[in-house]
Amino acid sequence: MSPENLTCREIEPDLVAVAAGEAGTSAARGVERHVAVCRGCRDELARYRVLEGMVADLRRAPMAGADPTLARAELESRLVDIRSRMVAYGIFPSPLGKLLIARSELGVSMVRYIDSERAARSYLARLAGDEAMEDKSAVEATYRELLDYLGARSTRLGWPLDLRWAGSDFQRRVLAATAQLPYGAITSYAGIARRIGEPASVRAVAQALRHNPIPIAIPCHRVIGSSGDLTGYAGSRIGLKEQLLSLEGVPVGLRAHRIDRDNMYVLYEGYTEYCLPTCGTLSQEPMSQLTLFGSRRHAEAVGFTPCSSCRPDLHPLTV
Amino acid sequence: MVRDMTEDPFETVVAAHHAEIHRYLVRATSGPGDADDLSQETFVRAYKAYRTLPPDANVRAWLFAIATNLCRNHFRSEGRRRLAMAAAAAGASERGPSWPEGEAIANQQSARIDLIVAALPFKQRLAFTLRKVHELDYEAIGKSLECSGESARAHVFQALRKIRRGLDDLDVVHTERQP
Repeated sequence: MSPENLTCREIEPDLVAVAAGEAGTSAARGVERHVAVCRGCRDELARYRVLEGMVADLRRAPMAGADPTLARAELESRLVDIRSRMVAYGIFPSPLGKLLIARSELGVSMVRYIDSERAARSYLARLAGDEAMEDKSAVEATYRELLDYLGARSTRLGWPLDLRWAGSDFQRRVLAATAQLPYGAITSYAGIARRIGEPASVRAVAQALRHNPIPIAIPCHRVIGSSGDLTGYAGSRIGLKEQLLSLEGVPVGLRAHRIDRDNMYVLYEGYTEYCLPTCGTLSQEPMSQLTLFGSRRHAEAVGFTPCSSCRPDLHPLTV
Repeated sequence: MVRDMTEDPFETVVAAHHAEIHRYLVRATSGPGDADDLSQETFVRAYKAYRTLPPDANVRAWLFAIATNLCRNHFRSEGRRRLAMAAAAAGASERGPSWPEGEAIANQQSARIDLIVAALPFKQRLAFTLRKVHELDYEAIGKSLECSGESARAHVFQALRKIRRGLDDLDVVHTERQP
């Protein structure tokens, strides 16, 4: 290989750079000096310049089969579908411990008590795959409303709910009936079973509420055993059930984890007047027919009036 | 820092960049069928990550990086890659000499370059397309291809050399077959 050839080969990258308008000053000078004396490389530079012009045409020339219209239309419809399935979530501290809150375009889809953030994230990932994304800001307003509620500054969570994680139609009906329970009111699992027209399915109701995806907002803490036992809540978090009920003015026997119906106002199914627990034969009626209120205020807040015979307004319970 | 999706909706990103990313993918994959699928996948992935993209990020370069990454996965199976290259080479020999008369010269030349580009090795093909067609800077190209800006530049120059020689070869074929 002659020294001259070697120089030509060495200079080629600089020729390409000069043609592309990307060469530094010293490389450009080197090329200028070289092509002044080397005809082959001068021609080569000219060809690279022509090529640059042709390449510039690539930016403008139409491409066979490059019509993106169909792909764009399919993309738009996929995005609509994905958007409806996406959930944003955040993990926040609260008076009830750490909570995971998730919501979609449709509404709040999950409130979950958590011990380990990692376990909670992997649970959600199993449930939602890559359609769940952590985005605290998207659920921040929901969280603030929940804090107001838990701090007794509001008695209503007016959230639209997304029941995507309700497992069955039966569970949806149980959750819908439970969501109707007003603030400060309680009933029994049998009471919910009656309300959905399945009076024999008490255990199935308890199971459905055990897997309530949106506790607090769907107030499964307001549903107790027929004997007055709180039974369970979110695994072994019965203390949280007591906390939530106390917040709503329900007197809870802290040691026994139970509610004494003798200390509660009573609303018989289908009536609009609430009574003292001793009114008429109420104390013999099964829990499933009754809704109990810890305070008159909460019963009246949803439109019930004091019974005109037992007059709970004149003889309020002293708890 | 998270993007406000109401003020900065993803629809504007699709409207601004889909056609260009699709065009890039037609070149990168040597075929419109794959480009349809991969361009959709690019934007689906982008959508899922868009909220958390920093507000000052270069959205266009980011989309090219996602598209390039999908191409890499697409071609990861070597067999698939060989098939694509064989198809491109077959296309070159079938279509090369028989372009219709009267077609605009610029289009003809562009199509010839595209045929050569289709047969380039993966990194050279993508680096060339990103730089010369879509005019990304070498740093952004390096990030897409998982190499330095300097290596990206070297890939582009290699591609230019090969295209230069490839055009000479095509000219030879063209003239030899003339009566």
